[in-house]
Amino acid sequence: MNGPLFEVRGLSKHYFGVTAVSELSFTIPAGGIVGLIGPNGSGKSTTIDCISGFQPADAGRWFLGGDELTEAKPHTHSAAGLARTFQTVRAYDRLSLLDNLAVAAQAHDGVGWWAALRRGPRLRESEAAIAARARELLNIVGLSEYAEAPAGILSYGQRKLLAIAAAMMTRPRLVVLDEPVAGVNPTMIRRIEAAIRELNAGGAALLIVEHNVGFIMNLCRTVIVLEQGRKIAEGAPSLIREDPRVLAAYLGVEPQAAADG
Amino acid sequence: MKAFRAAAVTFAIAVLASLPLWSASPYLFELGITAAVFTVLSTGLNLVYGYTGLLSFAQVAFFGIGGYAAAILGVNGGWPVFAGALAGGVLAATLGLLIGYTSLRLSRHAFAIVSLSFSLLCLILARDWVSLTRGPMGIPGLLGPAVPLPGTGRIRFDQPAGFYELMLLYALIVLAIVHRLVRSRIGRAFVAIKLNQPLAESQGIDPLRYRLLAIGVSAFTTGIAGGLYVFHLTIVDPSIFDFYYTETMLIMVIIGGPGSFWGVVAASLAFSAIPDLLRFTTDLRMVLYGLVLIVAMLAMPGGIGGWVTARRRLAVKPA
Repeated sequence: MNGPLFEVRGLSKHYFGVTAVSELSFTIPAGGIVGLIGPNGSGKSTTIDCISGFQPADAGRWFLGGDELTEAKPHTHSAAGLARTFQTVRAYDRLSLLDNLAVAAQAHDGVGWWAALRRGPRLRESEAAIAARARELLNIVGLSEYAEAPAGILSYGQRKLLAIAAAMMTRPRLVVLDEPVAGVNPTMIRRIEAAIRELNAGGAALLIVEHNVGFIMNLCRTVIVLEQGRKIAEGAPSLIREDPRVLAAYLGVEPQAAADG
Repeated sequence: MKAFRAAAVTFAIAVLASLPLWSASPYLFELGITAAVFTVLSTGLNLVYGYTGLLSFAQVAFFGIGGYAAAILGVNGGWPVFAGALAGGVLAATLGLLIGYTSLRLSRHAFAIVSLSFSLLCLILARDWVSLTRGPMGIPGLLGPAVPLPGTGRIRFDQPAGFYELMLLYALIVLAIVHRLVRSRIGRAFVAIKLNQPLAESQGIDPLRYRLLAIGVSAFTTGIAGGLYVFHLTIVDPSIFDFYYTETMLIMVIIGGPGSFWGVVAASLAFSAIPDLLRFTTDLRMVLYGLVLIVAMLAMPGGIGGWVTARRRLAVKPA
């Protein structure tokens, strides 16, 4: 495939006249890890809600593997290979971890309703493969011992790990993680980081929205910085760290003063 | 455990099916018919509300539509009872999909409101579209098919014992279908949508498609139940759209535990019988009925299903 895996062109979104995102364009290469950072209210969450189909955009188009997803519903984004997690971490609390992961996978194996009701060999094979993959992912994220327990008993950090595993069950080409380590203790952050690296090694590209700048700088090859809905910088972490506009946005320093040091 | 459950279900079916052999009490048949009909109705509501999280007030409308369709086709068109009931089920399912498709594009609250309006509209149509429905007087003289129950030669469908067997058979078929559905991965998707719709959507599950499936199956089975039941009542009139049915179905599903298949079946059987068991005291009957409801809700906030699940969790917890 030529060109980037994921491409956003001119995304804009306004709420009651307030600009949340303004003419944002960026690309993500296959297998890449891109970070999206910015102060509170800079439009990070709005951006990922739009490009995953949860919010209608006012303007802009986006493409995954060359297919346009601009007008598509969330489930169509998922079918096309875009998975996401949520800032307020979501899980099916009453279902076991294995069932949480099985639900995530079941729309992606091509087994239709009729085959599901007939319970023929095709369904059984697919369900067995899903269960095996689920156990493998639980192992990667370190939740194997809770496989049969309901998701409701997990701690906050563990729920974030489960959400990442569930996103991976949809066989994504791109995973969008909304604040994967916000409010998580340092030990758990290291586990989440290790899990993300392992999943990326498996072939999925990642777009990570996060407030924890250290986490992003450590993990991403490219970082995009938003301020008031506009992209103010984009590049390798080492360059972003020294960009005067970024320092101004984060520290409130005037660009000139920041540049002067 | 599985073998035990299968044996228990087989035994229960055998006892219920052989009722006409050891009893000739029309009272028992009447109770059995009521229980069978309400089991179908509440299982239909459970499918839509308990499994996919859609509060539907349209179930009574599907019931009445099935009843009117079968009666009108039978009386005006000479259709056989079973064909009329089937047509009633198809009509109910079609209308159910229509209100589901239009309202669910907005929200599930829109569905609740539209389903309520739809039921009221059906009541008004039944009362005021006199040329079709004969208005408040209804369509009397509906008789079950005067054919003998296969294999008995003696018990006919237009007699209480025969009609009881018919409704028992129909209820068992509906329970088998719904059980298969909710225990499949489709049922797992229903529950996922109810528990966390945005998460399910983000995982490629289209909530509209699944909810329409639940509404369609529920409307179809409920419509056929109405189409058969009116031939036992021998008349269909606007009271078939009465809120009484909605209220009773809701009680059965809530006490049974929304999303609990066997809990709702158990509650349907219990709450079909309780009003009759309380007949000894006409004055206090409804008071006692209310008391039973309050005690049930206090003792089992998650319904019968929730209570059983909690018991099981306690049992597996290490000491």
